[in-house]
Amino acid sequence: MAEDVKPTRKELMQIEERIELSERGHDTLEQKRDGLIMEFMDILDEAQDVRSDLDEKYEEAQNAINMARALDGDVAVRGAAAALKEHPELTTQSKSVMGVYIPQIDSTKVRKSLDERGYGVLGTSARIDEAASAYEELLEQIILAAEVETAMKKMLDEIETTKRRVNALEFKLLPELRANEEYIEQKLEEQEREEIFRMKKIKDKKEREEDEEAEAEREAEEAETVAADD
Amino acid sequence: MSQEIGVVGSPDFTTGFRLAGVRKFADVRDDDEDEQFDEAVREMLEDDDVGILVMHDDDLNRLSRGVRSDVETSVEPVLVTLGGGTGSSGLRDQIKRAIGIDLMEED
Repeated sequence: MAEDVKPTRKELMQIEERIELSERGHDTLEQKRDGLIMEFMDILDEAQDVRSDLDEKYEEAQNAINMARALDGDVAVRGAAAALKEHPELTTQSKSVMGVYIPQIDSTKVRKSLDERGYGVLGTSARIDEAASAYEELLEQIILAAEVETAMKKMLDEIETTKRRVNALEFKLLPELRANEEYIEQKLEEQEREEIFRMKKIKDKKEREEDEEAEAEREAEEAETVAADD
Repeated sequence: MSQEIGVVGSPDFTTGFRLAGVRKFADVRDDDEDEQFDEAVREMLEDDDVGILVMHDDDLNRLSRGVRSDVETSVEPVLVTLGGGTGSSGLRDQIKRAIGIDLMEED
């Protein structure tokens, strides 16, 4: 990789600039990752509470419906279940936590009063009503669980990408840039040394030429004086 | 946009939710083929009106690999499993991968 760059001063300046930018980005991303993990920990605690409540409610609801089924018969329970008119509806809004959009689920018509349920009051027993209200409670808890679990999934995704970016900068991009920087610096230094050596050579050559010229002049003068003597 | 809750599972599992007013449900009998289960879950995933998908934790194991990972990582609809103890196993794996520690370990 280091051989791909041109060893020029301009290139060196560009690489230095990139290193500075990458380091700044790396620090920011690292802070973002730590912040996300801290947020995630808060949500995780909440999620675990919601989870245990959910399991409890599920058990209660199951007991209630089993009771209804045992005493009123499966057909009566299913008949009542098929008669439901009102349906729970969800509306989702989102809020942003450190750039991650987390859903906030609002629900309507989860809890219904007896006459809203739609099955006849006379034809069914109180046990079916109990089962229905137990399941309504369970649904509310499920909606809560869905909210925190979606939030967790999204946060985890974001944490993973941020972590990958931090690592890519730290272990791939920055080392490469630093290697390039060093390569160019060494190359430039070498060029400088070569230049100095070349200058010295030229200077030597020039001095030698001057000496030779002076010698030639002196010889010529001497020859002249000898000729004049003659 | 208003969405609904979807339930996939055995008739015993779904009846209770229908009693609470859930309209989107798919009954898969225990003796049905696992492919039918895959099909039912896939339909729920593709349905834009479903915001939350409820399943029993044991039923997850009946899904084929691809559908299972799709449903576990899906955000819309989001999967909520019941009866499996600490959350869906997919979430736990994801935490291990992203944070590096198994945070959901039972103390």
